[in-house]
Amino acid sequence: MSIDAWSRLSTDAFNVALYAYVAAMLGYFYFLAFRRTVVWRIASVVASAGLAANVVSVVARGVAAGRVPWGNMYEYSTLLALLVVAGHLIVVEGIYKVRVIGGFALAFAVLTMAVAVMFLYVGPGPLVPALNSYWLKIHVVAAILGSSLFALGCIVTILYLVKDRREQLAAERIVPIMGGSLELDAAPPHFEAGADEPVGGTVRRGLLPAAAVLDRIAYRTIAFAFPIWTFAVIAGAIWAENAWGRYWGWDPKETWSFITWVVFAGYLHARATSGWRGRRAAVIAMVGFVSLLVTYYVVNLWITGLHSYAGV
Amino acid sequence: MSSSAAKAPRMNIRQSLALVWRTLRSMRTALVLLLVLAMGAVAGSLVPQAGTSDARIAAMFRDHPLRARIYNQLGLFDVFGSWWFTLIYTLLLVSLVACLIPRTRAMIRNLRSRPQPARELDSMRHYAERSVRAEPDRVISGARRVLRRRLFRVNGSNGSGPPSLAADKGLAREGGSLLFHWAFLLILVGIVWGKGTGFSGLAVIVEGQTWTEAHANYDGQIHEGRFFREDHSGVQIHVDSFTARYRIPSGIPEDFVTHAELYDAEGRYVKTADIRVNHPVEVEGVKFYQFGYGWAPVIDVRRDGEPLASGPVVCQQDPTPKGVSPLQLPWNCVVKLPTLRPQVGIQFRLWPDSRALFALLDKGQAMPMITEFAPVMTYTAYRGDLRAELTQSISQLDTSAMQPFKDGVIGAGDRVKLGNGVTVSFPDLKQYTVLEVKRDRGLWIELLAAILILIGLLPALYTSRRKVWVIAEPDGTGSRLRVGGFALQRRSQFEEEFAKLVDELSEPFGEKVNAP
Ligand code: HEM
Repeated sequence: MSIDAWSRLSTDAFNVALYAYVAAMLGYFYFLAFRRTVVWRIASVVASAGLAANVVSVVARGVAAGRVPWGNMYEYSTLLALLVVAGHLIVVEGIYKVRVIGGFALAFAVLTMAVAVMFLYVGPGPLVPALNSYWLKIHVVAAILGSSLFALGCIVTILYLVKDRREQLAAERIVPIMGGSLELDAAPPHFEAGADEPVGGTVRRGLLPAAAVLDRIAYRTIAFAFPIWTFAVIAGAIWAENAWGRYWGWDPKETWSFITWVVFAGYLHARATSGWRGRRAAVIAMVGFVSLLVTYYVVNLWITGLHSYAGV
Repeated sequence: MSSSAAKAPRMNIRQSLALVWRTLRSMRTALVLLLVLAMGAVAGSLVPQAGTSDARIAAMFRDHPLRARIYNQLGLFDVFGSWWFTLIYTLLLVSLVACLIPRTRAMIRNLRSRPQPARELDSMRHYAERSVRAEPDRVISGARRVLRRRLFRVNGSNGSGPPSLAADKGLAREGGSLLFHWAFLLILVGIVWGKGTGFSGLAVIVEGQTWTEAHANYDGQIHEGRFFREDHSGVQIHVDSFTARYRIPSGIPEDFVTHAELYDAEGRYVKTADIRVNHPVEVEGVKFYQFGYGWAPVIDVRRDGEPLASGPVVCQQDPTPKGVSPLQLPWNCVVKLPTLRPQVGIQFRLWPDSRALFALLDKGQAMPMITEFAPVMTYTAYRGDLRAELTQSISQLDTSAMQPFKDGVIGAGDRVKLGNGVTVSFPDLKQYTVLEVKRDRGLWIELLAAILILIGLLPALYTSRRKVWVIAEPDGTGSRLRVGGFALQRRSQFEEEFAKLVDELSEPFGEKVNAP
C-alpha cells in the first residue's frame, strides 16, 4: 500500500471510530436514563468496534508517517481517546463491572477526537530533529497513559460527588429509631480513623454505584495514574537533558506538568488527612483534572515554549 | 485584666517552637504547602519569565510600565528564582524533614520489634472461627507456615493461655513512602551540587578547527555555578565537518550533525562521535550538545600579496521575521582591517546558494537555500574609523565614522580589487557548528533520586498494611481456631484475602465448620 493509501485509511478509521463513539455515548446515556440493559450491551459492542477502528487509525498513521504515531497534538489526541475508551471497557466495565460511567468516558473521547480533527489535524510527516528521540517516545506514551487514567479517575470522581450528595440527603431523611443506628452497608460513606477508603454504602440504590464504591474506584485509578505520570515527567526530563542540555527549564509545558503532579500529590495527601478526605479530596482531584487539560491543550495551543511543535 | 488571664495564652519560646514544629509536622500543613506551591507555579506560567520570554517582558515594560514594575518587584518575572517561591519549597522541605524524622524512627522501631499479641480478636473488623480436627500446637505451627508463605512477619506467643500467633505484612508501604519522601531531598541536593559546581556556555567551531574547553574560548557568556572554581576541563574537540539535512522541498529540518573527534585534557584521542540533536557526547564529564550552526566563508584579504586577514569568518543571520524561513535569508559577516590607514571594514552578505539571490533579483521571489550551490557574497567596503575602542563585537561594523567606497559581488573562487593594492578573495565556504558545552555533576544524583522515587511510590501506593492474629484453643479432641485481623488500607480487598486466609488455615486440619 502506498503512503497515501495508509494515510487515507487512517483518516477513514478515525471517522469510523468517532461516529461509533458518538453512537455508543448516546447509547450509554440512554441506558443511564432508562436502564435498558439491551441498550447498554449494544453500546458496549459499538464502543468496542469504535475502539478497533481507533487502533487501526493509529497504526495506519504510524505506517504512513514511517515513525511512531505520537508526534503531534492530533496524534496525541487520537491515542488519548483510544486509551480512555480501552481503559473504560477493560477496567471499569470489565473488572469493576460498573456500567454507568460509559457515557462520560465516551463523551471525553468524542470531545478529544472532535477537537483533534477540527483544530489540530496535520498530515503524517517526519518529526523535527528534537522530537526524534527514544526518550520522547517513552515520555509521550507514559504521559498519554497517565492522562487517560487521570481523566477516567476524574470522571468517576464527579460521579462520586453527585452520588455522595444524594446519599447524604437520603440519610438526613431517615431518622434512626430509638437510638438504633443505620445499617452499615446502607450508610452514606464515612471514614474510620486511619483509613484511606470510606466504609459503608455497598448497597446499590439508584442509578449509580454507592458513593463509597465510586470513591474507591476513583482513588485507585488516580493512584494508578500517579506513578505513571511521575515516570512521564522523569522521562521528559531525561529527554530534555539530551535534547536541550537541561533537564528542567520551567518551560510552560514542564511547569504545567509539574503543577498537575503537585496537585495530584496533594490529592493523595488529602486522602490521608483527617478533615480532607471525601468531598474535599474530590475537589482537589477536579483541580488536578483542570490542570491536566491546561497542560494538554492550553500550553500547546496558546502559550509558546520549546514544546510548541512544528505544525501544531 | 487579671494577671493570670494575661499569662495563660502566652507561651515561652520553647513552647512556641514546639508549636511551630508540630504545625510543620502536620499532614494538613504539607497539603496546604503543596497546593500553595502549585499556585506559585501557575503564576510562573502565566507571567512571561526572564530567559524564555525576554521580548514579552520588554514589551510589558514599554506598554504597561507600572504593572511591569510591580510584577518585577514581586519577582513575577522570575518566579522560580524568587524569594517567595524559594520560601514555599523550603518550608515544604522543612515540613518534609519534620514529618520524616519521627516516621523513620517509628519505622526502624517497627522493623526491630515483632508483631504484638492480642487477645480480643472478636472485636476486630474481620473475625472468623473454625472447629478443626487437630490439637492447638499443630494448628498454630501450620498457621505459621501458611502466614510465612504469604510473606507475613510472624511472632508466636510465649505466655500463658492457648497457643497463638501475631502476624503482620505490608511494611513496604511505609518503607516505600519514606524512601520516596527522602528522595525529594536528594533531588535538591543534586540540583545544588550539580548547578553549583557546574558551568555551561556556547562554543563556535568552524569545520577543521579544534576547540579547547577553557574560559577564554567560549562565545559570549559562561554560566558558572556558585562553587565553581574555574576548574575548566581542558578537553578538546576537533570538528571534521558539519552536515545539515532538510526535507526537500518543504525545508523542514531533518538532521544536524557535527562530526567530531574528542581528546582528553592531555590531548589523548578519546573517540570519534557524531553530535546531533538528542545525541550529545561526553568526555570527562563535559557534554557537548548540538545547538546551532551557520556558514563561515574563508576570506583572504591581502595588500600587495601580503596577507592582512585570512581564514574562515563566522556569519550570522538577522532575526527571522514571522512567516519567513531562516533558510531564505542571507548571512552577514564582517572583516575589519584596523592596520590600514584609513581603517577599512568590509560587510559581507553571503548567499550559500546563489540561485536564491538571482531569484530574488530577477523575480522578487524568496527561495530556501538548502545546500551549498555556487555561493556568492555581496559586499560593501567602508573606510574611516572603526572605533574599535567602542565596538568590541567582531561580527558588527560601526559605520558611523566611515564612508562606503566600494561594493560588488564576489563568487566562490573569485578575487576582487578594492584599490590601493588591496584584494579580497573567497577561496572556500565552510560551515560552523555551535555546541552547548556543559558540565553538571549532579545528574547522577538526580537520576538516582528519580529512580528511588519510582521504586518507593509503587509499594507506597499499591500495598497495604495488614495485621492478623491467630489463636487455637483446645476444643474436645480438636481445637477451636480463632482468627482476627484488619487492614489499614484497601479494606475492601482485605475482606477477600482474609476469607481465603481463614480457609487456608483451617482446611489442612479437616472439616470446615462455620462457627455459629
Ligand atoms: C515534597 C513534597 C511531597 C510530595 C510530592 C509528597 C508525595 C506523597 C505521595 C504521592 C504520597 C502517597 C503515597 C502514600 O499514600 O503512601 C504521600 C504520602 C504521605 N506523605 Fe507526602 N509528599 C510530600 C511531602 C510531604 C510532607 C511535607 C509530609 C509531612 C507532613 C508528608 C507526609 C506524608 C504522609 C504521612 C504520607 C502517607 C499517607 C498514607 O500512607 O496514608 N509528605 N506523599
